[in-house]
Amino acid sequence: MPTELIQLLLNGLSVGSMYALFALGYTLVFSVLGVINFSHGAVFTLGAYFTFLLIGGNVGSNGLLAGFQLPFALPFWLALVLAGLGSALVALVIERVAFQPLRQRGADPLLALITSLGAGVILVNLIQLLMGAESHAIPTSSLGNLPAALNIGGAMVRTVQVLLLAIAAALVVALTAWIEGSRSGKALQAVSEDPITAQLLGINSSRMIQVAFGLGGFLAGIAGGLVGLSVSIAGPYFGIGYGLKGLGVLVLGGLGSVPGAVLGGLIIGLAEACVPADFSGYKDAVSYGFLFLMLLIRPQGLLGRALPNKV
Amino acid sequence: MDAGLLQQMLLGALLGLSVYLPLRCGQLSLASPGFYAIGGTIAALLSTRLPALGGASATYPISSVLLEMGLAAALTGAIAAAIGSVVLRLRGIYLAIATIALVEILRVITLNLAITGGALGIFGIPQPFNGPEGYAFFTAALLALVCWLCDRLERTRPGLAMAAIRDDELAAASQGIDTAQIKLLAFVLSAVVAGITGVVAAHFLNSWNAKLGNFDASITTLAFVVLGGSRTWLGPVLGGLLLTALPEVLRPVGDLRLIVFGLVILLGPLLFPQGLISPERLQSLGRLWPGPKRLGRQAP
Repeated sequence: MPTELIQLLLNGLSVGSMYALFALGYTLVFSVLGVINFSHGAVFTLGAYFTFLLIGGNVGSNGLLAGFQLPFALPFWLALVLAGLGSALVALVIERVAFQPLRQRGADPLLALITSLGAGVILVNLIQLLMGAESHAIPTSSLGNLPAALNIGGAMVRTVQVLLLAIAAALVVALTAWIEGSRSGKALQAVSEDPITAQLLGINSSRMIQVAFGLGGFLAGIAGGLVGLSVSIAGPYFGIGYGLKGLGVLVLGGLGSVPGAVLGGLIIGLAEACVPADFSGYKDAVSYGFLFLMLLIRPQGLLGRALPNKV
Repeated sequence: MDAGLLQQMLLGALLGLSVYLPLRCGQLSLASPGFYAIGGTIAALLSTRLPALGGASATYPISSVLLEMGLAAALTGAIAAAIGSVVLRLRGIYLAIATIALVEILRVITLNLAITGGALGIFGIPQPFNGPEGYAFFTAALLALVCWLCDRLERTRPGLAMAAIRDDELAAASQGIDTAQIKLLAFVLSAVVAGITGVVAAHFLNSWNAKLGNFDASITTLAFVVLGGSRTWLGPVLGGLLLTALPEVLRPVGDLRLIVFGLVILLGPLLFPQGLISPERLQSLGRLWPGPKRLGRQAP
């Protein structure tokens, strides 16, 4: 295989694995509630900022917290896990504020789309208010003494990209094993099938919905920290872009399907890597192009199931 | 009141109506800023590239503005019909997703094409009026016209069919309503309103770029309708007027503007599921009103 191809493939896969990680939480919430959680991109952003602060990053010269820096600097891995947990906590709060009241009232699920969007807008703008709109970078030196690049089959690949791929793969395997193999994972599947019947069978549906939100928030936070490490944190709004692109990932793979989110993420990552340099400005449109195409030919996505129209 | 602010409020009300039309039949479309951007781009391109439209006088002729509006209406309507006939077959959530993607695709294209000026946009759009007062009069007339049409719509068969679809699509279909046709009608009307609003906005703002139709704009316009209410046209008009004026009223808070918007979108559906204005509320208001019952009409 020519080295350019290996390079392209690895670039695409590492970007795609981040899309997949991001889309996993997105799709988990969709599978249990049947609604898009628009605050997911904001939680992802939050994970990136948490990670940045915990490794001892300085806020910089803008925002109300200008010049703020934690008195300690954690190693990257610890910071990443804590950031994931912090994001999970925030996702749970969002569930409590923006989703639960509507669910208890039996309101139109489309309303949750609107309230979660509101929660996301508040979160992103709070970050901007506190930390300013500038971009930050998580230095790769926070990983310790790792070589900057690895030689894989003659192609030089950034170590960070290989790590991203490995972490994403490990998390996907763990999540799938949990969903398919454990009692609580089976309960989650039952709730996504039908929350009321699941409740009748003795499953605490509300609790499982919270589990989905918490897990989704954790995965989003981890993805945010990792993207911050491999690319940069391009200001408080960068997660919104991910949230929008992630819609393409979800629809491509199939809304609510966990393996679909992984497949969709990898496909879109690879497709973006294949966009020629002359048209790089159009890279952002790749995901939306797939989205439209899927809506046209197969709305349930590659791995989703078509739902009958229920009365 | 400052005529410039009034003009912006009127544009906000028009955009609110554009989001309201699909929502009236229960379809959440976030595409309005995309069609608004198309209208603005058409106006910016035609008026800066075609000297023939400029005429002989110092100010840009209003007839040319009307021509641009006609073209924008035709183009946005056609695009909406093409996209809508595909997307509206799907369940509600897909429409929201597809319209977000549409807005983003349009933004990426506008950002990359040379003819639309890339990231900087198009400058020096000619002025049909000498000041904001002229714009405000023109836009107020346009808003009045669109409101009147919406009011007619609410009282006639298609408008009532829209409300029926929102309440229960299957029941509406079983009563012989062509739900696909009616939903498409609402979507196309929404696009046309947004498109002509974009034309006026492009002249008023004097320059036009890709940022004017982005996801932020989708959120802002959605807030208009969520706050005002989506069951009668007065709701989005009020929401558009109020929320566009809000940043000026809240000038001291400055950066908090979008946080306030977020709070409106988050708390609106929780506290006022119907929005500030609902037909029932208007009716009870009408009962307090002595004399001819202008507001107390039957709830659709």
